[in-house]
Order: sequence, then C-alpha cells, then structure tokens
Amino acid sequence: MGDTYFKGDDATVKTVLVVEDHKHERILYERELTAEGYRVILAENGREALQKTQEERPDAVVLDINMPQMDGLEALGRILEAHHKTPVIINTAYSSYKGSFMSWAADAYVIKSSDLTELKDRLREALSRGETEGV
Amino acid sequence: MVLAGGQGERLHPLTKDRAKPAVPFGGIYRLIDFTLSNCLNSGIRKINVLTQYKSYSLARHLRMGWSVFNSELNEFLEVIPPQQRYTERWYQGTADAIFQNIYSLELERPRLVLILSGDHIYKMDYRELIRAHRDKEAGLTVACVEAPVNDARRLGVAQVDNDSRITGFQEKPLNPQPMPGDPEHCLASMGVYLFDCGVLVQRVIEDMKTDSDHDFGKNIIPRMIETDRVYAWNFKDENRKTVKYWRDIGTLDSYYDANMDLVQIDPLFNLYDEGWPVRTYQHQRPPAKTAFEEPGTGRTGNVFNSIMSSGCIVSGATVRRSILSPSVFVHSYATIEDSILMENVEVHRHARIRRAIIDKQVAIPEEEEIGYNSDIDRKRFTVTESGLVVIPKGMSLRNTP
Repeated sequence: MGDTYFKGDDATVKTVLVVEDHKHERILYERELTAEGYRVILAENGREALQKTQEERPDAVVLDINMPQMDGLEALGRILEAHHKTPVIINTAYSSYKGSFMSWAADAYVIKSSDLTELKDRLREALSRGETEGV
Repeated sequence: MVLAGGQGERLHPLTKDRAKPAVPFGGIYRLIDFTLSNCLNSGIRKINVLTQYKSYSLARHLRMGWSVFNSELNEFLEVIPPQQRYTERWYQGTADAIFQNIYSLELERPRLVLILSGDHIYKMDYRELIRAHRDKEAGLTVACVEAPVNDARRLGVAQVDNDSRITGFQEKPLNPQPMPGDPEHCLASMGVYLFDCGVLVQRVIEDMKTDSDHDFGKNIIPRMIETDRVYAWNFKDENRKTVKYWRDIGTLDSYYDANMDLVQIDPLFNLYDEGWPVRTYQHQRPPAKTAFEEPGTGRTGNVFNSIMSSGCIVSGATVRRSILSPSVFVHSYATIEDSILMENVEVHRHARIRRAIIDKQVAIPEEEEIGYNSDIDRKRFTVTESGLVVIPKGMSLRNTP
C-alpha cells in the first residue's frame, strides 16, 4: 500500500483522495496514481470523502459522481464550503453532469476511460496551480 | 432572487421579532412589498425569496398577501429558508446566499437572474434594466442612482466610462469618488443586480474558492470589472418626481423620515399612482372612523395630515402628522403628534405621544407621556440620536384600567 510506503509525511509527496464506489476501479486508480508518485487515499462514497478530506487534508480530490450514500455533487459542494482551496477533479462515466451548476465548481471534469492519461494530466495541472497560488 | 435574510440590527427593536423586510411601513405595508410590487409591475413572476433570520412573520405575510402567482402558468413565489445542502452555517454574505441556492437556479435555468434586496423602497420597471442589459450585451448590469457624497460612504460606488461601462467599484468607501463634473454626487449602487445566469453561477462559485466576505459589492463586482462586461444602468424612477426616490432603510431615524414623508401634503413617494400599484396583505376590517365633536371640552376626534388605516378609531382625541396602522384605537383627550403607531396599539385617555414609533400591540396607559421627557424615556425605551422614542412590540407599560 502506498499508505505505508510514504508514512513519514514527505512534504514533497502530494496526497490524492480518490472517491469511487467500485472496488476494482479504486484498485486501478490507487495503483496508477501511486505509480505517478502520489500518496493515494481512498473513499467509497461522498460521506466518507468528507471525513477523509477533514482528517487527511489531501492536496487534491478525484471524485466520482454516481455513488451511494452521498453523491459526488453534494460532496463537492461540501468540500468547497469547508476546504475551498482543495482542487477537485470530477471523474465520472457521464458527461450529462456538466449541466449541473455544482459540477462547475470542480477544477476539471474528466470522463472515465481505461486510459488514465487525461485524469493524470488534469491532476498534475490542478496540483501545480495550487502550488503557484501558495496553497 | 430577493435577498431577505438581513438581521436589520440597526432597526432594533423593530426587528426584535421579525426580519427587516417584514418591518411594517406606511401604515399597511411591509418593506418587502415595494420590491415585490416592482416585480409584479414589471411582469416578473418567477420569484425566490431567500430568508434567514426570524423569517416567521415574513413568510406568513408572503403567504397571506402574495399568493397571487399561478403555478399552472409557471409563475411562482417561493420562500426559501437556508437549505444547508452544503453547510451547516447560515449565509456568510449575499453571494453565499446565491451559492447556497444555485440548485433553485438549476431547476429553473433562466437566462437572466435579477438579484434584489427585500428592504429597499423605490419604484423600478425592471424591464428597462433588462433592455439596457441586452443592448450592452452585458454579463452584469448594476442599477445606479446619483447619491450625495456623504450618503455614498454606506453604499457601493461605481465609476463609469462614456458608454456606462463600470471601470471601478468600491463598497462603502471612506472617500467616495464623485462623478466627473459633479463633486457633490456619486454614482451609487442600488443593490439591484442583473446577471446572465451562467456568469452569475460561475462568479459565485469562483468567489466561494477564495477567502472573502462572499459579498456582491465587496468581492464579486470589483473582480468582475476585470473579467466581464459590467455596466451601470441609470435608475429610471417610476415614481416620476423631480428627485429620484430610493431608500435603503438603514436606521430608525431614516425609517422614521421615510414614513413621515408619506404624511406630507405632497409626499416624495407617491402611493396613489394607479399605474404603479403597491400590493400588500390587508385583513378585512371595518372602515377607519373618528368619534365625538364637542367643541369647548376638547373631546373631539380630530385627525390632521395623517394616514389612518382601516379599523382605526380616533375617539375624542387629536392626531397630527402621524401614521396609524390598522386597528389603532385612540381614546378621548389623548394627543398624538409626529408618531408611527402600529397595528392594535391602544392609547388611553389623556395620554400624550410625540415623536415616537410604537410597535404592535402596545397599550399606552391613561395620562402617560411619551416623547416629552427624554431622561424618563431613555430609562424605559430605545431613544435614537435625534430623540425619537421606540417602543417594542407587545411591551407592557403600567397596568391600565
């Protein structure tokens, strides 16, 4: 687990919270993003995402929308309220949520694909924006 | 979107039990009636009223007086208390109030969103504002009125170019920048904002990501000057007097002055224009009446230069330059001058009242004097800088016979 590997809180390692209800996708994102050099933490729904955001203060959040308990759009609003400087990337199989005003609050909107290049690019951009703004 | 969440602390004790937009005005109205009447008279029939503090009497007034919209025609007036969709906090500022309610905009998906205050008094045809907004292809149009430099310190002040595009904006500036060629006046924001819906949502969300007061005047407009087409629209007053009428009732004294204007022979604010009706809720009550005519004894019902609402009885008493809300009862030998008496106030015999605001359901005992000795008044009541006495709703004075 990346979690154990990076214990010791290396300041240069960015923490990314991945919020995803499908287990196999969580495993995929964790592996791929750990390989990119991130410390990856996971949540299974919006409610857990809020809790993890509060406890672990991730540098960025990758957020699915269709999830049980609390969906990604509600979680996004709540993350924005409590941690407004944390960049959030929506990562969903559907483009239709672009019509929801709350989705406009995300730093990027990525349509899920087996190729994670776009997600990784948007994540890198969001994190570097955060750095230049001194977050 | 009518912002009706302000606490109105400076109007205390009138806001002790009610939100500022629900404060009675001019005998039969509440402050919010003027903004809502503007909407109705401008053909705007999709209205969300965003409430917050002490909204009970406001919500009740809107239900009783403003249930005139037909949902079968897609008209609505919704009273929306804080939804707490995203936070347990109350609204942090005007922009936060909109952010917390973007879901209601999402359901409606309007092209334009008009943001109004529920506690201003003026007559505006919002269609003129909308026309100007479209002509300029603006993202935001701010209704502005010329205001004396001194007043501008508590308002938003805009600077514009020759095309009315706003080039500078300061909220409550210490040194308001006067208009070119008129050192006495500033171009002041009336708190009336017309936005393209998409622009509004985008800017409000951006603002939520910054450490700010989440206020349109302080944060959103100054920033938008750099990024959007922001225009000023010069207020065209439907009141049609020589001086444009717009009041942001900030203090008890300004509240009193705006009321007292209405009992002038020729008031600045015209309530009698049938072309611009002001709607409110009125209970069914008997007509106002006076009683007794006994020259020599002083027991004559006399009412001079005053507003008398329905259900009032002035019985053998004298009322001068005052506003009587519905069902005020003034008993014999009492005198009322330069005062505002709200619903169900009863003034017993020989009482004398001068320069006072008496909120609802207060009984003034026999021979009581209010407004005649400021030391005594100060011990019992709120007394303003100008010496105006304010008695809160339902306050018990001495036992009355």
